[in-house]
Amino acid sequence: MRDKALRYIEALGGRENIQEIDGCITRLRATLVDPSKVDEAKLRAAGMIGRPIRMGNGIQVVVGTHAELIATEINKILRGG
Amino acid sequence: MPILSPFTGRVVPLDEVPDPVFAERMLGEGVAVDPVAGIAVAPLRGRLVVLHSANHAFAVEAENGLKVLVHIGLDTVHLRGEGFERLAQEGDPVEAGQPIVRFDPDRIRAAGYCLLSPVVLPDLPERYRVQLVPAREVIAGQDPLLYVMVENDAW
Repeated sequence: MRDKALRYIEALGGRENIQEIDGCITRLRATLVDPSKVDEAKLRAAGMIGRPIRMGNGIQVVVGTHAELIATEINKILRGG
Repeated sequence: MPILSPFTGRVVPLDEVPDPVFAERMLGEGVAVDPVAGIAVAPLRGRLVVLHSANHAFAVEAENGLKVLVHIGLDTVHLRGEGFERLAQEGDPVEAGQPIVRFDPDRIRAAGYCLLSPVVLPDLPERYRVQLVPAREVIAGQDPLLYVMVENDAW
């Protein structure tokens, strides 16, 4: 799970680019500093399903039914864990 | 294999769900229900493999690996559990028709959320086929919402 979390962080433009991230049941919902730094190929490689949904600085990434676990792990890493 | 409706209400095609993740079938084939009562039940027998901390969505996986995702309303994760109450715990074995979440439709609508509730089949193996039922009224835990069939097999 940690490895997956690290891959998503990188694909979303790195930890400095993620203002906030939460997990719905199947998707990560993030607010980004600069949405142009998102690497969609890396998102797909990390396991993204379909396409990212973008709205302004926000992005939703479908990852499967364990999005909440992945988001929790990402937040641990972002807080320096 | 019948997948029972988790909700009592009217069947609505996924195409009419104003959320691209469901409408574009990113989480697989399925249908939505516009619920008229505030109870969501297990659509099949299995294990409650996921129940979100906000209690707005869950997934049940049958012994044969078939997984059904039930999402109560759209974007309702933002309510952080307000208006939702869990009646089972993640990891529990569940029977088809067993109540999993109680919710307050009026409160959720009043908070500005669409209550169309998608029921989808993520990670469905290729050999499985989904047959939808025509749009109509369904009763939670009694009426099939869709059928899943293995190719060349009635299951």
